[in-house]
Amino acid sequence: MFVIRNRELRNTIRVAVPFVLVPAATFAGAVVFDRKRHIIISLAIAVMALLLFAAGFERKTTGSRRLVIVSVMTALCFAGRFIPFLKPIAALTIITALYLGGEAGFLVGAMTAVLSNFYFGQGPWTAFQMLAWGMTGLVAGIFAEPLKRKKWALLLYGALAGVGYSFIMDIWTVLWYAEGFSFKLYLGALFTAIPYTLSYAASNVLFLHFLAEPFGSKLGRIKTKYGV
Amino acid sequence: MRRFEEFDPVAVTVWFFSVTGVAMFCGHPLLMAISLAGAVLFFVVRNGTKHGRSHLFFVLLFAVLALANPLISHNGATVLFVVNDRPVTLEALLYGVNSAAVIVGVLYWFRSLTQIMTSEKVLCVAGTVSPKLALVMSMALRSVPMFARRAKQVSDSQKAMGLYSEDNIIDDIRGRMRVFSIISTWALENGIVTADSMAARGYGTGRRSQLRRFRFTAADAVLMLVTLALLAVTAAAIAADSLAFTFYPRIDINVNGTLGICGAAAYGVLVLLPIFIETEVSLRWRYLQSKI
Repeated sequence: MFVIRNRELRNTIRVAVPFVLVPAATFAGAVVFDRKRHIIISLAIAVMALLLFAAGFERKTTGSRRLVIVSVMTALCFAGRFIPFLKPIAALTIITALYLGGEAGFLVGAMTAVLSNFYFGQGPWTAFQMLAWGMTGLVAGIFAEPLKRKKWALLLYGALAGVGYSFIMDIWTVLWYAEGFSFKLYLGALFTAIPYTLSYAASNVLFLHFLAEPFGSKLGRIKTKYGV
Repeated sequence: MRRFEEFDPVAVTVWFFSVTGVAMFCGHPLLMAISLAGAVLFFVVRNGTKHGRSHLFFVLLFAVLALANPLISHNGATVLFVVNDRPVTLEALLYGVNSAAVIVGVLYWFRSLTQIMTSEKVLCVAGTVSPKLALVMSMALRSVPMFARRAKQVSDSQKAMGLYSEDNIIDDIRGRMRVFSIISTWALENGIVTADSMAARGYGTGRRSQLRRFRFTAADAVLMLVTLALLAVTAAAIAADSLAFTFYPRIDINVNGTLGICGAAAYGVLVLLPIFIETEVSLRWRYLQSKI
């Protein structure tokens, strides 16, 4: 089996292939071939990215302590989804990513989506939700250092992530409803989703403000105490 | 003699994604009608007259989705009437009806899927892709009710200590935050103990087994092959443009030649497959009873 020795390079490839290369290639394909097939392509990208990420995670040796902590954070997110109006999922995903790395953040976001949808309703959107929440964590992991140092940057990132989540999910809504992408419909969808967008952004900011430090110290403590 | 939901989860998943895949990506009005009718029939056969509220919700959703399109899109040759100098066309309305059939049909299918594919079966399917992720998911699932129990314990003891008052909103929120903080510390510490215990019992040294054993039998293989064969016929018909349609400027729905008819028929059989199985099972059951 072909193994890349350089660890940095290996990690970069592991993230770049599912989330940059595959979407870029499929997007190019969508533009070149057929405008009607956007939806099949977008769903295929989402599923492929998730499968590739899962495969990469499967091959890596991860300590059982890390696995258990990821599952605990996922369960906390799941439980948090029952809070009316305010959703702490993205905030907890971001916090996990800051202290345990982007991969853990991605897993927490993506798995919360798939598990909690057993309760809230599965659908083709599950793949997009997984990707959107997962990416929220992954990106937070990449910028972990500056986000940990500056509180305002963290809150800003939380707000942007909430808005971004809504934007991504609306792309999906439009693709599903109309053949091909209609900008007018997309604007309409964004407009009707304004209350949700605001609630996502507000709950991210609120939960990050209140939970980032206490959770950071809890996770940091576990890290130093047990060496996860 | 097994009911549809007792088949191997992998076979059921393949059948399910074949049906919804065509429903989501094809868009041909005939196939969409088959999908919607089949989805509603399947749901009703499984649940009887229960879930009246979800039916009501779906009817309303269908109406909203169907009527939204003619208000946004003004393409089409047959003008029905004019609102605010904008034509409302028959084609746009029918296009909206078709889109609504796609979406409501898929939603019905996913309702049934959520009932059939319990989390245990999903973990079994996920385990074939990534056993490690399946483990993390099953641990998370088990933790949710455990957290609820612990939250009750913690808040009870806080109350006993006089730290928790419920008539003041700020105090209430502060109390809830405290409970949440305690639960998460507890969960993280406890998680480490679990992990150490797993390591001590040899986690990761061999193949893992599952609580319930799903055996992939000949019947499962037959179901899967039939599913894939029917899907192949439908996909061939779609790919060869035998099931072509356009809405704008004029509606033109084609079912071309033998391949088109075969494709539509194959999709119909695919959609009805679980109902055939259930009917066969109940008939055989009745026959056996009458013999006794």
